Amino acid sequence: MMQRKLKVAALLAVALLVSSAYAKAEENFFGENVLAWLLNFQRTKGVKPVTNKQYQDECGGCHFAYQPGLLPAKSWEVLLNAEALRKHFGVNAELDNDTLKVIHDYAVDNAADKSWYKRSRKIAIATAEGPAPLRITELRYISRKHHHISEKMIKGNKGVKSLSFCDKCHTQAAKGVYDVDTVDIPNYPDWSD
Amino acid sequence: MKFRFKVRNIAASICLATLSGMVYADDSVVNLALPTAASFYTRNLLSLNSRSFDSQSSNSSAYLLAANEADTVRDQAGITPATPAVEFRPPLMSGRKAHQYLGLGTLALFGLTAITAPDSERNTKPQTSGTHQSLGRATAAMAAATVATGLLFHWDDFHFEDGFTDPDNLHVMLAGAGALVMLYAVSVAPGHGHSSAGLAGGAAMVVAVKLTW
Repeated sequence: MMQRKLKVAALLAVALLVSSAYAKAEENFFGENVLAWLLNFQRTKGVKPVTNKQYQDECGGCHFAYQPGLLPAKSWEVLLNAEALRKHFGVNAELDNDTLKVIHDYAVDNAADKSWYKRSRKIAIATAEGPAPLRITELRYISRKHHHISEKMIKGNKGVKSLSFCDKCHTQAAKGVYDVDTVDIPNYPDWSD
Repeated sequence: MKFRFKVRNIAASICLATLSGMVYADDSVVNLALPTAASFYTRNLLSLNSRSFDSQSSNSSAYLLAANEADTVRDQAGITPATPAVEFRPPLMSGRKAHQYLGLGTLALFGLTAITAPDSERNTKPQTSGTHQSLGRATAAMAAATVATGLLFHWDDFHFEDGFTDPDNLHVMLAGAGALVMLYAVSVAPGHGHSSAGLAGGAAMVVAVKLTW
C-alpha cells in the first residue's frame, strides 16, 4: 500500500515539474491539456509544414515558402501587411486584400509562439523579448545552428548561394524537417567531416 | 554480488556507447561509391555555358576532358565546382539516430520491467534474480548509454542561456535525472523504495523523449 502511494507521488511530481515549466514558458501552451500532448504520438520535432495552399502558392512562387513556425507572430504582423509587402526585402510583392488576409491570418495563427513543434518552441523562447525579428537567418537560434558551416559552403557555393535558401541543403525542409541527418550541402557531400 | 551487478551494468553501458560511437565513425568514413571522375569533369565543362566547343563534335568527351585552358580555370576560381546532384537519402544509422533508438529502447525496456514486477503483496521474499531484475538492469544500462550518446551527438543542442523552459534543456535535465534515478533504483533493488524510484526515472525519461519527439 505504501509503495503504491510512493509510485503515485513520484508520477505526480514528474507531471507537476513538466507542466509547471511549460506553464511558465507560455500560459496557453500546455496548460490546455498536458495529457493530450503526452499521449499524442505525432512527431513534432521540427516545424509544422505548410498546409495552406494559397500560402504555399503565393510565397512559394518567389522563394521557399517558409513555415510560419519559423518566426513569431509579431514578426509576421510586421512583414505581412500591404505597405510592407510593397518593399518586401527590396522587391514589390503586393497582394490583393483577400489573399493578403488569408496569408496573414495563416502565418499569425501558426507562428512559432503558437506552435507545439520543438524548433518553433525554441524560436519562440529566443524571440519572446526584444523587437520582432524580420529575417529568419538572423534569429539567434538559426545562426547558432549554422555557425560551423563555412562561408564557402554557402555564399561561395553555386548550389546554395545564401543561407535563406533552406531547401537547398535541408532535403526535407518542405516537410518541416531540419534534422542534421537530412542535410545534404550541394557540392559538399562530406560537409560534416 | 551487488558489486558484480554494478560492474556488469557499467560494462554494458560502455559497450552500448562504444557501439553507437562506432556506428557514427563508420557513418562518416565509409564511402562505397565508385570513383566517377571522368563523367564528373565532362558534365562540369558542359555546364559552363560561357565555353564554346563549336569546332568539335558535341559528344566528344575526350576533347572536353582535355579542355583545361587558363580561361576555364579562371571561370571557376572562387566558386565551388558544381558536381552532379545525386539523390540524397538520409542515413539509416548515425550517431543521432543511435541516440534516438537507444532512447526508445530504454522506454520499451522500462515498460517491460514495470510489467514483469512481482506483486509485492504476494511475494514477501525479495528476489535477487529473474526476468524483472534482468530487465531492470538492462533498462538502467540502456538509459546510461542513451544519456552518453545524447551528450556526445547533441552537445550543441542545449545552452543554459536559453533557460529552463527550452525543450532541449528540459530534455537533457529530465533524461539525465531519469537515468540517474533508474541506476539508483537498480543499485538499491530489491529493497523497498526501488520500484517508486524506477517508476519516477522511467516517467522522467518518457517526458524527456516526448519533449523532443
